[in-house]
Amino acid sequence: MIRVSNVSHTYGDESVLETLSLSVEPGEVLGIIGPSGVGKTTLLRILSLFVQPSEGTIELDGRAAWSTDESERLALRRQIGMVFQEASLFDATVARNAEYGLRVRQPWSERIRDHLRSILGSSETAASATEALDVVGLSQKLEQEARSLSGGEAQRVAFARALAYDPKYLLLDEPTSDLDPRNTGLIEEAVLEARDRDIGVVVATHDMHQAERISDRVGVLLGDGFTEIGPTEAIFENPTDERTRRFISGELVY
Amino acid sequence: MPLEPIALLPAVVDLPFREGYVSSTIYVSLYVSVTAVTLSTLFSVPVAIVLGFTDFPGKQLVKSIINTGMGFPSVVVGLLVLFTVSNQGPLGPLDLIFTTEAMIMSQFVLATPPITAISLAAITGVSENVRDAARVLGGTRLDVALVVIKEARYGIATAVLAGFGRAISEVGSVLIVGGNITSAEGISKTRTLTTAIQLEARQGQYETAMVLGAILVALVLVVNAIVVRFGDTEAVNR
Repeated sequence: MIRVSNVSHTYGDESVLETLSLSVEPGEVLGIIGPSGVGKTTLLRILSLFVQPSEGTIELDGRAAWSTDESERLALRRQIGMVFQEASLFDATVARNAEYGLRVRQPWSERIRDHLRSILGSSETAASATEALDVVGLSQKLEQEARSLSGGEAQRVAFARALAYDPKYLLLDEPTSDLDPRNTGLIEEAVLEARDRDIGVVVATHDMHQAERISDRVGVLLGDGFTEIGPTEAIFENPTDERTRRFISGELVY
Repeated sequence: MPLEPIALLPAVVDLPFREGYVSSTIYVSLYVSVTAVTLSTLFSVPVAIVLGFTDFPGKQLVKSIINTGMGFPSVVVGLLVLFTVSNQGPLGPLDLIFTTEAMIMSQFVLATPPITAISLAAITGVSENVRDAARVLGGTRLDVALVVIKEARYGIATAVLAGFGRAISEVGSVLIVGGNITSAEGISKTRTLTTAIQLEARQGQYETAMVLGAILVALVLVVNAIVVRFGDTEAVNR
């Protein structure tokens, strides 16, 4: 379980998040909804141990991430996968992209051997990378150059790249905001597939309908904290907080 | 008594150079420039990575110095290296004056600013998202650096080419620190294509100078063609 307790974060003088707490269990999808610029990305960067929060603690399966040394934190980080709003693929083939997370986890001797094999063209794509590409429907494009993919395909490869090393948690930052309905649907199916593999998924989105479709629980981020966090149905059917209600009904426009 | 026609030949045709002269000159040119550019690349690319990745006070100053270095006159570099390796200089005991090693030193100094500056531009051009992706997928700092080098590889290749172009076509500093020396048999010791052209032209040996000039241009063309072809293969994949 990822547990975030009383996290606050400021950029300079500007407070972005204030005393925010949440937890994510394996095998659930937590949707984070809120308008643009409210701090969803910051929250995800904190969850991915990319950014140390100004205050508060983050625990991964009971281990506090920022009161430990760098190598321990790397081990914790490696249990987490993240997909950004932009695909940000490497300039290489689809297969090499999908395998990246696996490669950096290998010892150097194996990596050098793998690199030589790829130069000689005799490398085989790791089974889990092919499988992850299969989840997003792209296992037939292994040898295609990443830069020749469409935007939607690129984003699906980015998803597969994070899934390939079998993380315990997967963080998605607006993964479908630039995509057409078909690619959006494929990503959403992949999210549910990840959940079935007992991965804890956090999806930040400004698309309330998407959050409603795929989330088990939803957190509503307004201002610099959650106005409400709880089971999806309860939040959408019966919000207790007035601002949540107005945001969901579209009355509260930021 | 009939004259042997072959004995007349030098007087009539005036063979422009002795055997081994051109090949040894090409060899010295390539040896000095390739070595200098290789050493400079090993130095410049890590420096560019550090400059591209970190922020420290005085970073702008370092970048300004590098940019100034790109336009630094080669004769002045030659003069500074000459002082360094001369008998009274700090490297005097090594006896490097008028050697290819001293020429490598001055070409290293000349090639480093363009290689560093162009590599730095290529490295800072790699999207921050790609760096973040490498890190978030479990990469260490070293992994992120390797990804950046790989993403910037064409820019770095261009940088190396620019450095090579500056090194091989440069006259001033190699003339000062190398001395443009050949052995008594006409085999080049520290004579490069550029200093040979300069000397031949001054002696009125214009044919020889032009032949050497054509060889120099051909060399640069071949190196460029290799890199352009390498870039083209990439463009096909693109």
